[in-house]
Amino acid sequence: MPRPVPRTDVLLNLFGAPHQTDLVTSALRLAAALLRRGARVQIWTCGDATRLTGAALGDTKPRDYTDLGREHPSTARVVRELIEDHPDRLYWYVCRFCAEERGAAEQIPQVRTRAPFVFAEHVNAAGKSLLMGVC
Amino acid sequence: MTAHLLIESGGPQTGPACERFLGDAARLARDGHQVVLFLVENGVTAAVPGTAPGIETFLRHGGELWVDTFSAAQRALPAADLTPRARLVEMDDVAAKLLEPRVRAVWH
Repeated sequence: MPRPVPRTDVLLNLFGAPHQTDLVTSALRLAAALLRRGARVQIWTCGDATRLTGAALGDTKPRDYTDLGREHPSTARVVRELIEDHPDRLYWYVCRFCAEERGAAEQIPQVRTRAPFVFAEHVNAAGKSLLMGVC
Repeated sequence: MTAHLLIESGGPQTGPACERFLGDAARLARDGHQVVLFLVENGVTAAVPGTAPGIETFLRHGGELWVDTFSAAQRALPAADLTPRARLVEMDDVAAKLLEPRVRAVWH
């Protein structure tokens, strides 16, 4: 039986291409700021944004050849740590159709994949909804 | 009257969509709504005088202009280069505004 969608104050819909602009940075900054204020937040990713939490990304980005000694976290790790820091207040959902279409069906365990036709349930469960970018 | 938080992330270089969005913000302000226009990412360039005529109209109608400090700094835009009525803000200010119960928000 499907679990009900938890009530949240804000739903951030991450629809835009994640690496074309600063969209992901802005979404994470806004989510973190909302969480610092005690808000409950859910994030729904569609399109290429579903790859942000793909398990294949691992924990770190490939080494920067101009700075070999420094390790940079992958987006999957950044999201995982954000969820682990706010286990009852941050929920990250991934559109299953978009993820499968992009070969990213295998996701980190901290996020949940959802069928696209339940998206309205997530909007209903949020006090406010922001659409960020276009698929 | 409703309070609005309108967020522009593209800026004037993305074409007429930005100017139309600024026009929506100006019309809401003109009609007496409380409107905060928050410029973020490349949207911060709209706060440079002369780049987006809609900003002046928006301010003339009583709108409040916020500019993301982080985005402006990343684009080497000091406060002195922005319209003097712009207020540099942090994302915490935006989160607080978004969480106000009567505020409606749009991200563009």
